[in-house]
Amino acid sequence: MSTVVSSSQAGALYWPVQLRRNVGVRSLFAVVLAFLVAYGVLFPGLLTASGFAKFTQSWFPLALVAMAQAILMLTGGISLAIGALVSLGAVIAATTMIGPLGVAGGTAAVALTGVGIGAATGFIVVKLRLPAIVVTLAGSFIIGGAALLILPRPGGAIPEWLSDLLAGNTPAAFVLLVLVVLLWKLYLATPLGLSLYAAGENPVGAYRSGVPVDGARIAAYAISGLLCTGAGLFVAAQTGSGDPVIGSAFTLNSIAAAVLGGIGFLGGQGTMRGALAGSLLLSLMISVMFFLGFTPVAQYVAQGLIIIGAVAIPQFRKVQQ
Amino acid sequence: MTARKESARGRRALTILRSRPFLTVAIVAAVWIAASFASRGFGAYGHLRYLVELGAVIGLVAAGQTFVVIAGGIDLSVAAIVTVSAVSLPLLSLQADPTGLTAVLAVLALTTAIGLVNGLGVALLRVHPMIMTLAMATFLQGLLIIIAGGSAVTAENPLVRWLGNARPAGIPAGVLLWVAISVIVLTTMHATSLGARIFAMGANPLAAALSGVSVASTTLAVYGISGFCSGLAGMLVLGMNGQGYVGIGDPYLLASIAAVVLGGTSILGGLGTYAGTIPGAILLVTITALITVVNASPGWRSILFGSLILGLLLLSGREQARR
Repeated sequence: MSTVVSSSQAGALYWPVQLRRNVGVRSLFAVVLAFLVAYGVLFPGLLTASGFAKFTQSWFPLALVAMAQAILMLTGGISLAIGALVSLGAVIAATTMIGPLGVAGGTAAVALTGVGIGAATGFIVVKLRLPAIVVTLAGSFIIGGAALLILPRPGGAIPEWLSDLLAGNTPAAFVLLVLVVLLWKLYLATPLGLSLYAAGENPVGAYRSGVPVDGARIAAYAISGLLCTGAGLFVAAQTGSGDPVIGSAFTLNSIAAAVLGGIGFLGGQGTMRGALAGSLLLSLMISVMFFLGFTPVAQYVAQGLIIIGAVAIPQFRKVQQ
Repeated sequence: MTARKESARGRRALTILRSRPFLTVAIVAAVWIAASFASRGFGAYGHLRYLVELGAVIGLVAAGQTFVVIAGGIDLSVAAIVTVSAVSLPLLSLQADPTGLTAVLAVLALTTAIGLVNGLGVALLRVHPMIMTLAMATFLQGLLIIIAGGSAVTAENPLVRWLGNARPAGIPAGVLLWVAISVIVLTTMHATSLGARIFAMGANPLAAALSGVSVASTTLAVYGISGFCSGLAGMLVLGMNGQGYVGIGDPYLLASIAAVVLGGTSILGGLGTYAGTIPGAILLVTITALITVVNASPGWRSILFGSLILGLLLLSGREQARR
């Protein structure tokens, strides 16, 4: 039957489907837009080139870890090792890039570590049937320990030109983010990517229909690992050095961003654009609090309250109706 | 007749031998025997007593965690609540009360209230337990730094000191407290209607609600119990340590969840018992003690701890295949 649908008809179907997928996150988009406008009014610097660059740079790592968590949650998994993986990526980048491996070798090391650890985690969770929460919690100790072994205290360095390229006055972070999103769209078009939602929504049904459920879930863990260590590399470039515990805050923030973006815990529910909007909202809130002069401690308190509020209010309204 | 009775007895013996709590006890026994052959001091009565005393703290935190996990949730704020208890108790030491009981009760009320707020968020606002308790932990972390600053506070409370140091009849008071709490927990879990409601809710919340279980009040109860137990654990660790500081509770988050899962309770809810969590807690402190013997750097210690927990999970924590 598929041959009957010509490409123009497929195109005509594509946009209405995408619009329908926006329904759940439309109010979130409105809130994010309102926040962006408020931010732009409060701090007009956002509209200049360097202001835009700085803003996207503060958002970029959070966007990556939100995507990393969202992929797992879409397949019905979860990771509490996100923060540890970001730290590991950062220390590997800060120790290899100034050494004989150079920037290319260092980037490859970071990427391979992320994919390898992610795939190993996925294998343990999927093939050995251990609960993901506990595996990744134990994994966070192993990964965090490895980061401490590589760099016991903050140190190392990132070549200056790379820091300037990624975290200077260039929109490199934004370009990279657009690239990552395009790659995600491409991945969704591959057989494994297509299996992703099916494996999360109804694993048994998907398996019986011939979907490679285990493969899709392990691939999701591997991609998630790659995104996390990539975020670590970027954070190292931002600070110009490595720190074995720099990523800890990303675990909670990644889950919060994904849930704010409408990703469900049961798998198969939600969209990546939602998770990205969730991470943008979180990043905006953190920036606004910073500019309003909140101390880091008060930021903790406010962040806890805002996350609960943001997750609870839509649920509450649903219950009321 | 007798043959049938005997075969029934044999079957019962087999069920006990195959049960998860028994498996965990067997692993603990094997590790203890192996370790005492490998290192002379390990098997000494004093050392084993010390291990059980350390296990009491994990056991108390894990008591609340077991309730929450069986009810189908998870409490990621236990570490923060332990810290709240250990830091706020010294600040509350009232001059008027020489036994220190008032301060203890006040702190227990506070930690129970924190647990109840978790429960309110989960039950009424329908926030996912993981988000609710993680956000609560973040919130408390900020609050603690505001209250206590960065410095350590010394406990003057006589009751807490007694709890941490006294040894009536040669048994540490903390272990006695653990035994008492274990009896209460096991009775509540397996012999009261609240316990039955918790299991029913964890197995299938919708079916439980339709059968007349008040999901909201049961959820409130389990998170309240978890807050109370973490508060008790915080006092015990304060008494044993002498000082409370921000971060004192951090090791107990993974430890409590690991103890619950190693004890055979399903992380998906509805299945399990505290009788497995008890040897699970002792197993964890044994692992930690063995790692300390190896005398490795913090990085290696962390790696060993995580790997051993993963390895033990393979032995006892596997989920059933779903197809």
